[in-house]
Amino acid sequence: MYKRKKNILLITPFLISTLCAQVDLDDDLEDILNMESELKADVGSRSGAKNFLDSRSPVDMITHAQIKNSGLTSLTDVLRYFVAGFNAPETSVADGSDHVRAFTLRGMSPDQILVLINGKRLHTSSLLHVNATIGRGSSNVDLDTIAIEAIEKIEILRDGAAAQYGSDAISGVINIILKGIGHDNQVNIQTGIRKKGDGKKVFASTFVSIPLAYDGFVNLTLSAANQEQTQRAGKDPRITPPSVQTHAGIPDSKNVNLVLNAESLQESDITLYSNAIFNYRKSEASAFFRPYNHNVATKLIYPNGFLPLIQADILDYSFVVGVKGKHDTTSWNLSNTYGINQIDYNLQNSMNYGYAAESPTSFHLGQLNFIQNTTNLDLKHSFEQFEFAVGSEYRYENYAIQEGDVSSYTNGISQGFAGYQPKNVVDNSRVNYALYFDTVYSPLSKLSFEAACRYENYSDFGETTNVKLSLDYKMIDTLLLRTSGSTGFRAPALAQSNYSHTSTFGGLLEGTFRPEDDISKALGAEELTPEKSKHFTIGTVFQPTNTTALMIDYFYTLVEDKIMLSNEIGGTTATSQQQAILTSYGVDKARFFSNAVDTKTSGIDLKLTRQFDFENDSKLYSSIWYNYSKNTIIGFNNPSMNRSNSFEQIDRVENGQPQQAFRILNNYENNNMSVTLNLSQYGSYAQVINNESYNFDAKWTTDLDMSYALTKTIKLAIGGLNIFDTYPNKWSEPINNFYGSDGIKPYSRYSPFGYSGAYYYTRATIKF
Amino acid sequence: MLKLIIFLFLSIFSSSLFAYESEEKLQAMIIGKIVKFITWEDEKSKTFTITILNNPFGTTFDELYQGKQIKDKDVVIKYITKIEQIGKTDILYIANVTSQELETILQKVKNSNILTISDLRGFAEKKGIVQVYFASQKPKLKINLESAKEENMQIKSSLLQIADVVKGL
Repeated sequence: MYKRKKNILLITPFLISTLCAQVDLDDDLEDILNMESELKADVGSRSGAKNFLDSRSPVDMITHAQIKNSGLTSLTDVLRYFVAGFNAPETSVADGSDHVRAFTLRGMSPDQILVLINGKRLHTSSLLHVNATIGRGSSNVDLDTIAIEAIEKIEILRDGAAAQYGSDAISGVINIILKGIGHDNQVNIQTGIRKKGDGKKVFASTFVSIPLAYDGFVNLTLSAANQEQTQRAGKDPRITPPSVQTHAGIPDSKNVNLVLNAESLQESDITLYSNAIFNYRKSEASAFFRPYNHNVATKLIYPNGFLPLIQADILDYSFVVGVKGKHDTTSWNLSNTYGINQIDYNLQNSMNYGYAAESPTSFHLGQLNFIQNTTNLDLKHSFEQFEFAVGSEYRYENYAIQEGDVSSYTNGISQGFAGYQPKNVVDNSRVNYALYFDTVYSPLSKLSFEAACRYENYSDFGETTNVKLSLDYKMIDTLLLRTSGSTGFRAPALAQSNYSHTSTFGGLLEGTFRPEDDISKALGAEELTPEKSKHFTIGTVFQPTNTTALMIDYFYTLVEDKIMLSNEIGGTTATSQQQAILTSYGVDKARFFSNAVDTKTSGIDLKLTRQFDFENDSKLYSSIWYNYSKNTIIGFNNPSMNRSNSFEQIDRVENGQPQQAFRILNNYENNNMSVTLNLSQYGSYAQVINNESYNFDAKWTTDLDMSYALTKTIKLAIGGLNIFDTYPNKWSEPINNFYGSDGIKPYSRYSPFGYSGAYYYTRATIKF
Repeated sequence: MLKLIIFLFLSIFSSSLFAYESEEKLQAMIIGKIVKFITWEDEKSKTFTITILNNPFGTTFDELYQGKQIKDKDVVIKYITKIEQIGKTDILYIANVTSQELETILQKVKNSNILTISDLRGFAEKKGIVQVYFASQKPKLKINLESAKEENMQIKSSLLQIADVVKGL
């Protein structure tokens, strides 16, 4: 029986191929208009868009068609489901990190990914992840500020590219291309619920395209989502009888997104363009439950204890205006991008014990603010076998913290999240300018070289120059070899240099201090300097047919002086010398940022894509993607961090994320029907609690989306994410009241696919 | 699961099937097909001439049409790089020119009964006849019917049904 099954497995591919038809030049015009062209990517080179399979650096694409057939409504999830090696856990009870999801590529830091919109740098969130989550110590772009219906395609460059794009482009670059001309106006409505009956989500969006003269357009996308929380917490053993009190799962949130993308072509060769992204999000998550006996004052207001609810009001927008044109063989592009991210924290259902019965129960905790303004001028020129690009960039950044209510930080703190106090208030700016060039030389049609160099000067830390060399060679028509080597950097985020969040207990301070604060310096902090990186990648693309591509790429990235947030130093975690320093400064516990470690990341990406076209006008798109990434800390540069005093921080970097990932993506389409079946494997990972590492198994999840077009304008769909209701392992044993197999949080917050189980939905799409 | 992965790998490498094509090749294929929907005022010549200004196609046109027939006539392909080189032709494909040059070209070929085609943005609204553009990876057509009429060309309604008909600005 086994043999028979095996034989069927082996011959089935050949049976499939006999069902397929070869398209040739005898096709009718209508058939040709239904054929799909190659996918072109802009990212990775300034020499213009080219087939992503012919790119000198590894580039992947996610198309609008893939997104619309996935049932996914968040950009973070789109990348998580489609990109092997992209990780975006769903955390809870982690303060601000519950509201702005951290994401990583190849297990590297969230701030080592550059995100572009139509090729222009997108600002990061003002949030700094400071809790024990993946991405601790970093600020990343808030991807959920972008409405996915506005996206035409996503280009993912898996290579260091700081020599081309500047800071942050270390583990890769994500370039989001907004829809241009030729897209249908439509309305989308989707509603779904988790298998356990919670986590209801209602999502609605509309896309409208207004044509302008000479193929210009104004595209508007509006989307709104209401996400109800999921609850996967365990019983709280601190109360009798034990019952579920704390919230662990996806937070409640309301999200409104607006995206504008416009181009106006003039009669001359000048194009005016603009895009704008607006997002308002109100999100609510909890801290740990405070039982009635948490403090003597608890019962004065909450006889049965209370659950502090942390609310984040997030306002994010960016606005790009630009003008571009062409004169002979020289094209030019001048643009300005302004972006702001603002987070207001509020706390409900809480109290400050120091105020006893007079304590307020709600608090404004303060505001985080980040502004970025970037001005770019790019010139491109072609000359025989050369393509030249030169450019300059001027960027202004500002980071600010505003204090919260006085009652949130005096006489103790507001429970669940202390307010930012006047000592934490900051309003700092920096500027930098950059000059860069990029040259492509193609001595043969099958051989090209690219050299890029970028000089930067930052007002806070000075200069850096980075270079990149890459080469591609088509040995035969079906086989491309490619390699690149580069240096790169990541400027310290203003948040890392300026963030502090401290509280006062019994006259002693504790919390996160700025590197420039005296206590930090006394403990070993120095002024932050840029992370410096070196990259090497070598790979091949084999295309035996025009619909089949096999990509294999090895990568190696060395990062020196990676910025980390130290452990909390104080009490049992302080040496006698450190304790003496803390005491002399009136500080109980302290942590701070430093260029603490050097890291090495290496691995391989293996990706196979294939399209089948059947005689009945149906198509099957399949791809398999395997990623292996290993992160290792290879050097320690600050006494605050080493393997013995920072085991949890080190282990998170090295083992906190899956080292292996599979994605198997399939989409079958015929005239009226579309079926998407995606399988994802998330490799094993580990989390440290109480200085002990706990392992969690690899898991597979399955996603299914089936849609049917009732008419040319109405399409209905049903589907599910994680349809077999896979959960990560719980902790292997009881640990303490908060973590462990029978603790309040039975699942690790590092779980790469969350822990909310299956989600089922229905969707209607109406074109107009 | 491992079996499934092996199966999918085998499926993917099992044979040569359908083709993703380059934008250039799709355009070249469209040009060859579009002619059957169009009637020129004068179709008496013995050859069918396609002139390509600033060839963006590489060798694709030769590979597709060399030695072939269109409208039962032998195909002649001419590659030119200067506007002055435009001569008698049935189709003129225009690439990589400025707006000013385009205006000069369209003025030059006016009343010559030449089908002008391009993928330049705004080409049809700038009074070219057929514009090819790509949206969501698929080729689409814009046709300026007024310009076609001015050149005394007849376009079948079946072509107009699958194209966007625009007016000159």
